[in-house]
Amino acid sequence: MTLLAVKDLHTHFVSRDADNRVRVAKALNGVSFSLDAGRTLGIVGETGAGKSLTAQSVVGLLRPPARIVSGSVIFEGQELTNMPAAELNDLRGGDIAMVVQNPRTSLDPLTRVGEQLVRLHQVHTGGPQALSQQRALEMMEAVGIPDPLSRARSWPHELSGGMAQRVLLAMALMNDPKLLIADEPTTGLDVTVQAQILDLLRDLTAQFNMATMMITHDLGVVAHFCDDIAVMFAGSIVESGPVPDVFAEPAHPYTRSLINATPERFRMGEKRTLGGQPPDLYNLPLGCTLQSRCTYASDTCKATVPNVEIAPGHLALCHFAGQLAEKQPVKDQASRNHA
Amino acid sequence: MAYGAQTDLAERSAFSVFWNRFVAVVRLSPTAAIGLFIIGVFGLLAFLAPWIMPHDPVAAYTDRVLQAPSAEHWFGTDGNGMDVFSRVIYGARFGFGIAIPAVLLSLAIGVPVGLIAGYRGGYLDEILMRFFDGLRVFPSIILALAVVAATGQSLFNVILVLGLLDSPVFARVVRAEVLALRSSNFVESAVAAGNPTWRILFVHLLPNAIQGAMAQTAVRAAWAVRISATLAFLGVGIQAPTPEWGAMIRQGAEFMVSGQWWVAVYPGLALIFMVFGLNLFGDGLQDLMDPRRRAAK
Amino acid sequence: MSFQRFLLRRAIMVVPLMIGVVFITFMLVRVGSLDPVGRLAGPTATQAEFDAIRESLGLDKSLWHQFAIYVGSVLRGDLGESWLSNRSVLDDIRERAVISLELLFWGVGIGTLVGVPVGLRAAFRPNGRFDQFTRVLSLLGFSIPTYWLALVMIFVFFYLLGWAPPAIGRMSLLVTPPDPITGSYLIDGLLTANWEAAWSSASHLVLPVICLAIVSAAPIIKQTRAIAIEVLASDAVRYAHACGLPERTVRKLVLRNSAVPVLTFVGTELTGLVGTMSLIEFVFAWGGLGQYGLNAIISGDFTAVQGYVLTLALFSVLVFIVIDIIVHLIEPRSELS
Repeated sequence: MTLLAVKDLHTHFVSRDADNRVRVAKALNGVSFSLDAGRTLGIVGETGAGKSLTAQSVVGLLRPPARIVSGSVIFEGQELTNMPAAELNDLRGGDIAMVVQNPRTSLDPLTRVGEQLVRLHQVHTGGPQALSQQRALEMMEAVGIPDPLSRARSWPHELSGGMAQRVLLAMALMNDPKLLIADEPTTGLDVTVQAQILDLLRDLTAQFNMATMMITHDLGVVAHFCDDIAVMFAGSIVESGPVPDVFAEPAHPYTRSLINATPERFRMGEKRTLGGQPPDLYNLPLGCTLQSRCTYASDTCKATVPNVEIAPGHLALCHFAGQLAEKQPVKDQASRNHA
Repeated sequence: MAYGAQTDLAERSAFSVFWNRFVAVVRLSPTAAIGLFIIGVFGLLAFLAPWIMPHDPVAAYTDRVLQAPSAEHWFGTDGNGMDVFSRVIYGARFGFGIAIPAVLLSLAIGVPVGLIAGYRGGYLDEILMRFFDGLRVFPSIILALAVVAATGQSLFNVILVLGLLDSPVFARVVRAEVLALRSSNFVESAVAAGNPTWRILFVHLLPNAIQGAMAQTAVRAAWAVRISATLAFLGVGIQAPTPEWGAMIRQGAEFMVSGQWWVAVYPGLALIFMVFGLNLFGDGLQDLMDPRRRAAK
Repeated sequence: MSFQRFLLRRAIMVVPLMIGVVFITFMLVRVGSLDPVGRLAGPTATQAEFDAIRESLGLDKSLWHQFAIYVGSVLRGDLGESWLSNRSVLDDIRERAVISLELLFWGVGIGTLVGVPVGLRAAFRPNGRFDQFTRVLSLLGFSIPTYWLALVMIFVFFYLLGWAPPAIGRMSLLVTPPDPITGSYLIDGLLTANWEAAWSSASHLVLPVICLAIVSAAPIIKQTRAIAIEVLASDAVRYAHACGLPERTVRKLVLRNSAVPVLTFVGTELTGLVGTMSLIEFVFAWGGLGQYGLNAIISGDFTAVQGYVLTLALFSVLVFIVIDIIVHLIEPRSELS
């Protein structure tokens, strides 16, 4: 059953420059995807590709000058983009829980950890205080916080990064969410702690039967953690599909180069073909946004790009989707860099 | 011919660039534009004072003492029979005459001190910062008053003292910038390239570190105008019957309880407007340097 | 206990600052081109009398020696004798400090009570109509000369409307002062049931307090707004929104997280405000420490000036310490710093 359906979402940053010209940064350009209950979707892409912005657009957390220009977000049959703020507030932290980066600064610095958990439960679920406290301890236990009773009395600044991230996970679980949005939950943590948090996350999604939207720039995380993948570039999902399909047969040149750029492939001596600057969001080219960086680019790419379904559920936003195997790179590294 | 046409085009586009910038400033920070306008008006008054003033600001019409505002004396006359309107206009000269050199002096002292303290660090920096902290414990008005009263009461001294007392403001701002820039790549490569220290300080660091200080200048000028008038109000520094606003308010103070309000009120209003203009502009200036405010409304 | 250790550490940290403060106060008089000896000796003094005065003031010794003597006498609580009143400066100051503190308390208290909520409201809708309006208002507050505002208020409320009593002193001369308990006429009057004195004192307080409140509210509005805007942009508030906390809860969070920086700011502002207050005292002939100090500066009574300036600086340092302690007690993170 489809839990979350995002259709043709456009989010822009509208501002003015020093010369008083209106500048529009087209940060999301027609993002569509859907997420079934209990599934895990990994959204990957480079910095500025629009991963976090997608999440923020979905839950209505955009701050000016960013705003949704068009498109729809449907969660459990309800349209979120025009939902009144109060109702949206009930969803956030309730049915839709979020885990963010910088867990230590994200917790309220002046409230003890336990109180924050209880407060969240009271706001969304209500009921007797004692029940919320009980729930808080259980969830702290569930996310592997040792000695929850004494930890509940800690101040956020007393927690390590990993511990704070566990607290955020406990916060997310408090109200039995149907959807968990994890926005780079392991960025900034030690590598060993990263692995622990990811394992924990995987166990919890299974245990609590949540759908999960995992935002990361780490393909490895997606490979080990997710059912589906969506690769973003310049505000568009350029390729999406089940993880095994996409990893086995990447249909978009960008996905290809991304996979080729992982350290494992690197060591295998394959040619690294990822490079160049992300396109100027204020001034996107006609047609394919990857043109200037793509080894297969030709004049065809200046036309509107079709979203091609290569296999069931496996889509790629490329004129040559599914034909890359027969094609030869038209440009070599040197000339591309000068383009 | 062709070249001529091109220069013409270039000039026009330069003007349109200027115009666009101007419109942008007005749009982004209407307060800054209003502030600039007020400063401009006072600047004109100060510059054109001799042609605008209907009377000599220090000519005493002994037969017209304490006259209410009239067609002849728009702002009335003071206790000496001097024309308040002319004196208020002339007072703008003192406002600029004190604020501009005082701020320039503060910059001239504060910026190099901040540069060196931030770049060198260590003992020198520590001592300077402690000294500045020590100064901050004293109310600036009282410190300025006491120093001017102790060192001799002249316009020159007022400027000197205000400039000195306010220089830590700029030193702090510049120092903070330099601390942030010191370990940046461009500075390190300049050091590695063998540039002498003065060159690194003034050629490499200064242009990058001075923006914050420049944003402060208008607000500091407002401070200087205010404090110098306060000194004159207390009879320290500039003395009556000099047509300075603070001194004029001092002269008018005694008449407030006998109903001749115009002697003190008009110079006070002029003082408020000029300081307000500088503050508006300064506030807008600081905003314009903050890109967060640039969102379209 | 750690709190005592904290106090001890703060006390030790203050020592170099105090030395600096005493040094600046000391130098304040030495940089002067005016010679206190000439003033004390008078125009008809002989060279011998001159030298005797020089010696009695210790001016024949080296600068550092003089400084040591000065530090010694400050530590003993000896601030010298006022040239104007011929009394001990310490006694003069002690008498007047309470009078000024009363005005400071009401003025800054009201200024804070008005300024903080206004600043917060402006921050919640930045660039909204309320924000624009209060921003201009607070800039205007920055720009109005205090003494002028005081004069205009006297003109309007005393001369024109006749609502306020004459601006001389803090109580009508026709009213018997209450028995001194705290030193504040208002509170003492209330305590001793001397209603006439309390009423007279209150009516004299109104204008100077409003004056001080206006001047102190302006920077508090501006800074509170800036602090709250920063808190609103913090990770904690973003996360609170992501958790769907109701707007009221989020505002409470913003309020609590703004409290410490705002408190610290008000504390640092007090330094400048005692200076501003001196001007208000001067115009209202308040008879407090501020008026005493300004008169001393104007008439060149340098021992009194030194004592006055030193007292103001000590007051600021004391305020900093008190604020530090309060912050330490209410802020869980302070153990880190």
